[in-house]
Amino acid sequence: MQMTTSMNAINRRRFLRGSGLSLALPLFGSLPASSASGSTAARSPKRLACFYFPDGVPMPLPEDPGYAEWSWFPHGGGRDFEFTKCMETLEPIKNELTVLSGFSHPRSRSVHGHNNADQFLTAALIGGGDRQYENSISLDQVYARHVGDQTRFASLVMSTDGGIGTARGTHTISFDHLGKPIPAEHRPKQIFDQLFLKRDVDSARRLSLSRSALDEMLDDAVRLRTTLSESDRRRLDEYLDSVRQAELKVEKTKRWLDAPLPDVDGGHLNLELGVDEPREYLQTMFELIYLAFKTDSTRVASYQIGRENGVGRSDHLARAVGFNVAHQLSHETKHPDGWRNFGTYCRFLNEEYGRFISKLRSTEEALGDGNMLDNTLLLFGSASSAFHLSRNYPIILAGGKSMGFQHGQYLNHAGMNFQGGPWLGKREPWQDEAKGEDLPLSNLYATMLNRLGVPTESFADSTGMVEQI
Amino acid sequence: MFSNQRLSRLLTIWLSCAATWSNAGDSAQLESTSLDELPLAQVRCIGSERSRYRSPRQEEESSEKDAHASNGLPPQPNLAAFETTVGPLLERHCQDCHGPYESEGNVRVDTLDPNLLQGSDTDWWSEVFSVVAKGEMPPADASDLADQERQQIIDWLAAELQKASVARRASADHSTFRRLTRYELNYALQDLLGLPWNFTEELPPEAHSEDGFQNSSHHLHLSVSQFETLHRIARSALNHAAVTGDPPPTRYWDISMRSAGAREWSKQDDAMAKLEKKLKDDPEKLTQERERLQASFGKTPRGAFFHDLANDRVASADWNYRRAQYAFSPVNVPFPEPSQESCVAVLPHGMGARLIFELGNQLPTEGTMRVTVGTSRVETEGAGIPSLQLFFGWQASNEGRALIRVSEQDTEVTAGPGETQIIQWDVPLSEIYPRNAVRTTGTMGQTPSPSEYIRIVNSSASPAPAEIHWVQVAAPVHDQWPPPSHRRIFGPGRKADDEAQRAQEVIADFMSLAWRRPITDEEVGRKLDLFRSMRPSCESFEEAVVEVLATVLSSPQFLFVSNRTLESDDVGGDTHHRLNQHALASRLALFLWCSVPDQELLRLAHAGQLADDSVLMTQIQRMLTDAKSGRFAKHFVHQWLDMQLLDFQDFKRHVPGFDPLLKEAMQHEPVELFEALFRNDASVLDFLHSDYAMVNERLARHYGLAGVVGNQFRQVPLGAGVRRGGLLTQAGLIAMNSDYPDSHPLKRAVWLLESVLGDPPPPPPPAVPQIDLADPRIAEMTLKERIEDHRNHAACMSCHVKIDPWGIAFENYDALGRWRDKIAGKPVDASSELFNHERLDGMDGLKRFLLLHRQDQFVRALVSKLVTYALGRPLAFSDQAEVDAITTVVRQRGDGLRSTLEAIVLSELFQCR
Repeated sequence: MQMTTSMNAINRRRFLRGSGLSLALPLFGSLPASSASGSTAARSPKRLACFYFPDGVPMPLPEDPGYAEWSWFPHGGGRDFEFTKCMETLEPIKNELTVLSGFSHPRSRSVHGHNNADQFLTAALIGGGDRQYENSISLDQVYARHVGDQTRFASLVMSTDGGIGTARGTHTISFDHLGKPIPAEHRPKQIFDQLFLKRDVDSARRLSLSRSALDEMLDDAVRLRTTLSESDRRRLDEYLDSVRQAELKVEKTKRWLDAPLPDVDGGHLNLELGVDEPREYLQTMFELIYLAFKTDSTRVASYQIGRENGVGRSDHLARAVGFNVAHQLSHETKHPDGWRNFGTYCRFLNEEYGRFISKLRSTEEALGDGNMLDNTLLLFGSASSAFHLSRNYPIILAGGKSMGFQHGQYLNHAGMNFQGGPWLGKREPWQDEAKGEDLPLSNLYATMLNRLGVPTESFADSTGMVEQI
Repeated sequence: MFSNQRLSRLLTIWLSCAATWSNAGDSAQLESTSLDELPLAQVRCIGSERSRYRSPRQEEESSEKDAHASNGLPPQPNLAAFETTVGPLLERHCQDCHGPYESEGNVRVDTLDPNLLQGSDTDWWSEVFSVVAKGEMPPADASDLADQERQQIIDWLAAELQKASVARRASADHSTFRRLTRYELNYALQDLLGLPWNFTEELPPEAHSEDGFQNSSHHLHLSVSQFETLHRIARSALNHAAVTGDPPPTRYWDISMRSAGAREWSKQDDAMAKLEKKLKDDPEKLTQERERLQASFGKTPRGAFFHDLANDRVASADWNYRRAQYAFSPVNVPFPEPSQESCVAVLPHGMGARLIFELGNQLPTEGTMRVTVGTSRVETEGAGIPSLQLFFGWQASNEGRALIRVSEQDTEVTAGPGETQIIQWDVPLSEIYPRNAVRTTGTMGQTPSPSEYIRIVNSSASPAPAEIHWVQVAAPVHDQWPPPSHRRIFGPGRKADDEAQRAQEVIADFMSLAWRRPITDEEVGRKLDLFRSMRPSCESFEEAVVEVLATVLSSPQFLFVSNRTLESDDVGGDTHHRLNQHALASRLALFLWCSVPDQELLRLAHAGQLADDSVLMTQIQRMLTDAKSGRFAKHFVHQWLDMQLLDFQDFKRHVPGFDPLLKEAMQHEPVELFEALFRNDASVLDFLHSDYAMVNERLARHYGLAGVVGNQFRQVPLGAGVRRGGLLTQAGLIAMNSDYPDSHPLKRAVWLLESVLGDPPPPPPPAVPQIDLADPRIAEMTLKERIEDHRNHAACMSCHVKIDPWGIAFENYDALGRWRDKIAGKPVDASSELFNHERLDGMDGLKRFLLLHRQDQFVRALVSKLVTYALGRPLAFSDQAEVDAITTVVRQRGDGLRSTLEAIVLSELFQCR
């Protein structure tokens, strides 16, 4: 949580410790913003949610009998395209989304797919082996720094596996401005309580200490100022300004602590779920984001549906559709029905994502300016396509029409010249020469940030924007 | 301190190096044949004799100036001389190109105000002076400016510029009020808290000023997020230093090589048993195979291995993360130091040899991990010295892992076979990033594995294996409780009943160290009020004190250098700019230690003793002897020589002749030379050329120097024919100004002019034509030919003719700084012609030229850089006279680096704001 970093690191101090650090009070958020509460604004806020699923997707080659039905990517391109069975549940909301192919992060294209969830939202060079691990700020956190101080929580960070995982085996897709992982929460009950039930006594204590400290620092600096020459004063004024801004932010945070929590009835939710009930679990996690957005508790959410390389509890999500573990499905595509089995699992994820999209679409904004989907931008994807191949990421972008997004398209940049086929047990696709040149995925991220209202035209290694959407 | 009289005498010498030049013009040509033969050491002597700064001639000239200054009148511009001689000369020789019809390089001399004292063209006049004095203008082939006329221009300008600089100094108000840089803040926290940790990683890196310095007051800004980070850093640093409650229990690991090797022996035993079982019906073959297997057990493996000296059996040291099967378990009681055992681990050099000791998931998040190793050499004979480094690592799954070097300096293994040398590393665990995130949640034996390990690496540059006898680990260790860092803040464990009384003592002591000055009762009183208001919301006394001290460390009184001056009552008259004693102590500590003053400096400041030059000299001596002066060498040299270029130099992975060990040595070399010079007070001219080099084994091999063994740097004499010595031939500095696999004469020239000679060329004009590599004529040319071709473009000519020749002289050094005679089969042509038609023949010729004609320029440039760094602000025109005064002292005292630092500290510039 962003807040803990600004706090005392003494172990015995139990500030929000049990909560899993997923929610970020904007104590020291980023930019100074206009008025405190989004609910008084004339227009509904713009929101962003990012989703990650591991293991890539079925990529049978065109000559493969499985291609017609179980290729993850649709057939066709532009506005003329057809879903396969992997995505056919999205048919009713086809005009609310855009599928993209042929995008990836250039720095990691020749890295094994197991290492790649860490950089999905950051575009950092993660590499493999014993290389020193470094990461950079993630897409969602860039937006959180922009709007985070306008809501009670700067962002909501979730994953099925929880915590931060390990370097290159991340359990969170959100990274702060220093590139440090932001721990993700995986327990629905904790998330719900944090959002709608907790009274945060320790934060209040912490804030009052900060306030006293800042008061004294300001006094101290003002006194020093009187002893300085004119030219020295100008330099000290930067310091004074900084202290004053920090005070404003504390005041603002304090208002959130005093403000009543939104009244949300969680009666319809089973919050004690785990991945033993995989479909319900996934639905609940989506529902929590929905509620957080609806109450304007936050405008930024990330959810890592599963960690890479199996082994975690997220691997059990495949039990929703009758398989044992998910990662194995990506290994066994050469088996009879291999594509179908893997595709069936991906279809399940797409279906639940679609349910979330539909729910946002059918909910009117409280301010009456359209439905929630039009004000909410959704990114859903993975950092591998074919087996462990870190290119041609499968991406479904949805929502955000009020920000100017045009949907009902398939931006098929990869075309028919993609890498794929079943893994036959030896050389893996990621070790092969690339067939085509992907576009930097950061171009899409730059476009997203720009239309969300962040004053930027770039993100990480972007080289431009994606105009067609 | 310079007396006023002496000062003004010295001031007249400004511009002197250039003046030498014009005189030296013909004589250099005459002498050139004989000079080419002389050893560089003698060339250096001849060059020194030509120094205007050392020359006694100045004495006569200055007497007139003294008279002028002492008659109490304000200095007057000498406009008469301009109208009668200088003006007409400029009109005749310069205005064709720099006048109303043409203004080459956007320079016009006809519009410059000849009144330098009041006029606004002093910077332009400085430029004019520089090019005329160096002989660059007017162009040699287009001018009939006689030497005597040139001298007239030089003399007039020199006098006028000097008067103008002195006049402006009196009225200048420089703001040197600045924030501490990131690295200064880090060292200040280290020194205040007594914890050698890295506190400021979170802060953004500082910008570099135009002079290349990070501590320049104009660039050190502060934003709200930086302020918040600073406050957070202060609190977390204090929390690291302070403790509450009882000491956390220590865990101990005792790893004998017999127990570590046991797994490998049992693998071998299993293989033997399997063989015996398989061939039990074929005794003959069994005997054969058994012998073969037995022999393989005695064969030396390639990587690290265990060696049972009792039966001479060996086995590779294996490790993998799965099931945490290699982990050793800790116990709660310490072990005695082991005696030597008959089983050892042998560790060859290089990162390829893996010797890993897995410690499981019991290492704490914070506190000190102490690793103790018993070790010796394997052989007494042999080329190298084994050298040990400690790494920390973990592997949780196939993809999640980390490996981090946690030892700072390599430790050489000096104990011979049969002896035991004990090496101990103390590692702050909280400083390791990233730790294994699942260590607190995972289960040993399952994936992802929560286990962590240490790894020992032998960093010797040559094959010199080390023997490891045993390894012991303890964590967290605390030799004292509460630890020294806690006692430093809270005093030696006194438990006063009255919290407020105790708080007052603790806070007052800490404040005067952090704010590096006496603290008033009122100031302490306010912090005590804060303590009282915070205490009810804090769980303990210590917590509340930490909160208060965090505001002390987030205050501008700690974060900024204020440079307070003496109260006007203290001294009379015109010295009101003089720093007070505490400000002087701070400036001195920041200069030579990159940190805040220690107790002794503060004590001297309290006692008013820093006003005494001899006390200052003793302090400089003490400070330069202290290990903290290494920070000064590191940061000044890095910024002076723009070595971020080398840090960023990222050669592709498999460049032959290059490896990380070499890069590290390259980064150290200039710093080592700098340290050697101030240790020995050796001449700064050694930077231009020295008959020795500072190298370690890896670098010596790069230079083809034999007989250097071990990773430590040392001074090595250079025989004839070794093309090294000084800065200009250092591999790292050449490599960072290259474009691998090619050299880059232009980069090298610009670097030489900017960093070394303090004479930066103008930036390239916006419309520079590109070198067209698609043109087959150009593609066939050597790099040097291409540069000459490019230079012949009219648009490029005027600048390049002044830049390129300097860089061509480096052509015998390749992109890794190695000597070469040929480039792609063609012999290297490193000769070029300077603007004045003098030939520069390779590196030797360049050094010869600089030693003969540019000593004054170089020393003055170095003094300028050091002064800029020491003051933390860019130098202005009004500082030039004082820089010349310092340079004069330096040159007259024989150019020693320590003398240079002393002259700077004793100068008016350093002692005034």
